[in-house]
Amino acid sequence: MKDLIAKVKSNQMIAENTYMITFVLPESAGDIRGGQFVNLSVGDSSHLLRRPLGICIAEGKEISVCYQLKGEGTKKLSKIKTGDSLNVLLPLGNGFDLSGYKNIAVIGGGVGIFPLIAAIRENIKHKNFYSYIGFRSKSALCLINEFDKCKSLTVTTDDGSYGKSGNAVDAFFEDVQNLNLDAIIACGPPSMLKSLKEKLLKNAIDVPCFVSLEERMGCGVGACLVCVCKKNDGNNARVCKDGPVFNINDVVL
Amino acid sequence: MADLKVEICGVKLKNPVIAASGTFGFGREYNEIYDISSLGGISTKGLTLEPRQGNPVPRIAEGRSIILNAVGLQNPGVESFIEKDLGFLKSKGVAVIANVAGRTLEDYGNICARLNGLVDFVELNISCPNVKAGGMAFGIRPESIKEVTLISKRALSLTPLMVKLSPNVESIAANAQAAQNGGADCISLINTLTGMVIDIERRKPLIANNTGGVSGAGIKPIAVRMVYEAAHAVKIPVIGMGGIMTGEDAVEFIMAGASAVQVGTANFANANAMPQIIQGLNAWLDRHNIADVKQITGCVKLN
Ligand SMILES: Cc1cc2nc3c(=O)[nH]c(=O)nc-3n(C[C@H](O)[C@H](O)[C@H](O)COP(=O)(O)OP(=O)(O)OC[C@H]3O[C@@H](n4cnc5c(N)ncnc54)[C@H](O)[C@@H]3O)c2cc1C
Ligand SMILES: Cc1cc2nc3c(=O)[nH]c(=O)nc-3n(C[C@H](O)[C@H](O)[C@H](O)COP(=O)(O)O)c2cc1C
Ligand code: FES
Repeated sequence: MKDLIAKVKSNQMIAENTYMITFVLPESAGDIRGGQFVNLSVGDSSHLLRRPLGICIAEGKEISVCYQLKGEGTKKLSKIKTGDSLNVLLPLGNGFDLSGYKNIAVIGGGVGIFPLIAAIRENIKHKNFYSYIGFRSKSALCLINEFDKCKSLTVTTDDGSYGKSGNAVDAFFEDVQNLNLDAIIACGPPSMLKSLKEKLLKNAIDVPCFVSLEERMGCGVGACLVCVCKKNDGNNARVCKDGPVFNINDVVL
Repeated sequence: MADLKVEICGVKLKNPVIAASGTFGFGREYNEIYDISSLGGISTKGLTLEPRQGNPVPRIAEGRSIILNAVGLQNPGVESFIEKDLGFLKSKGVAVIANVAGRTLEDYGNICARLNGLVDFVELNISCPNVKAGGMAFGIRPESIKEVTLISKRALSLTPLMVKLSPNVESIAANAQAAQNGGADCISLINTLTGMVIDIERRKPLIANNTGGVSGAGIKPIAVRMVYEAAHAVKIPVIGMGGIMTGEDAVEFIMAGASAVQVGTANFANANAMPQIIQGLNAWLDRHNIADVKQITGCVKLN
């Protein structure tokens, strides 16, 4: 985990309201695993909290993250130009540990696809991925070429303007009986993860399923206990340090 | 290189910059980023007798130059701290300040008794509601401040007592004196200011607890004023905090009368904030040819 000043290489729109920012670190931040995230400063002193964003592409010292415009911070971020400096803290969190699994289903919704891309890139040489990714509509579609090397890819849109009409979870359950899965990884809005959990239970599918959670953060490193989620044993876990990736059966969604 | 060493209630600190309670855990995480033995001290997450789960999420929101938090004192309990974390902090050679909270006067007495002789300071967080007095915080009225200080001091024969004042009060000077009269060895201030941030789309407060504690750069002028007033009302040392982001901010608190400072929210904005504040403080002193930080303590002259 390092706190570094990176140089921005590019910062461009990749879909409606969605940007990819690529920056170059002054030194290596060590091994980076899909599902880990960066906490980046939006570059002015009036925004004291950093923004957590899942690492999408990590190639040596060059890192790309993608973000959707939400509030003031991401708007500010979208104004950052090539050559500007960016204060980044990374890599944070645990990431997806896919060791021991061969056939893996990937379920992503909206901005949830970005950390999944990193997990696929890291493991594509040795593993088979079956991907189900959902977007609001065609205009939100991005980076689907990143899924090209998967054994299969199903794209859904809520409004049917591209691919299959509906959501990624439902599309996955249409296929699940035909897949010989060892694990499932998923990231997306809370409602999506909740429905995934319910349907896994209902369909009695007990393949290990790992989900990446989101929560508002203070420190991002595990010190302030701001970002907790509830575990099934009644205790709290820190999304930033104990997560953001959890076994779906261990957490209350 | 100016002399940054300070001594507070007989405890020697290598510099006057201390991590503020609740923002730094027990130091382990930030120690992965830099060697925390460079710090003057560390105030722990608020400890209670029993472990606590804290408030529902979201626990944090942001405003311009401030943040709002309501963690609700989630902590592993004092026994777990003593068993698992105290040794690590001590091995780092920093002053260890155990920040403690209670629901009743007895809680404060008991937790102080447990920590007596084990840490460098006990810091009383008195911004918590007193369940036996209708939920009004211990730290609001001078009478209850004196009472909670007395009972804590009685349990601390070996360890200096630092009473942390709440800013949500009528008179900070009167409250500082109440702590002194109760036997506090030093005081620290300010804790967070109570605030609310509303999500106008949902027409609901942003954090689950509705209200929370405001901290960060935006509260600094309030904190500096209160540190000044407190320092001029008591003879015991004052530790100042509230919105310190840079070495110059630390200088300002020291000039207002603080013998040392604490840094909280700045750690979130910048993980290396504390080493940079120490460096900035030193650089400011060097630039002004001041050989020893203690020369500027309380030096501000009113117009
Ligand atoms: C581990 C993790 C990975 C993430 N990865 C991505 C990603 O790859 N791409 C992407 O577009 N988004 C991602 N998010 C969500 C992203 O952090 C928020 O959308 C973003 O912080 C919003 O900032 P803002 O300034 O636009 O919004 P504001 O509402 O102005 O932000 C105010 C505060 O709330 C926090 N906040 C607001 N929404 C969220 C949220 N959903 N989760 C956490 N904090 C939030 C902000 O960080 C900031 O501290 C991720 C969140 C987490 C926790
Ligand atoms: C997330 C968070 C948790 C905190 N927890 C505690 C606590 O447990 N006990 C306490 O006395 N103060 C707590 N505080 C208050 C800080 O120690 C400090 O008094 C306050 O934040 C002002 O300083 P700052 O502006 O540098 O953050 C907390 C503050 C924050 C932001
Ligand atoms: S954000 Fe501080 S513990 Fe997770």
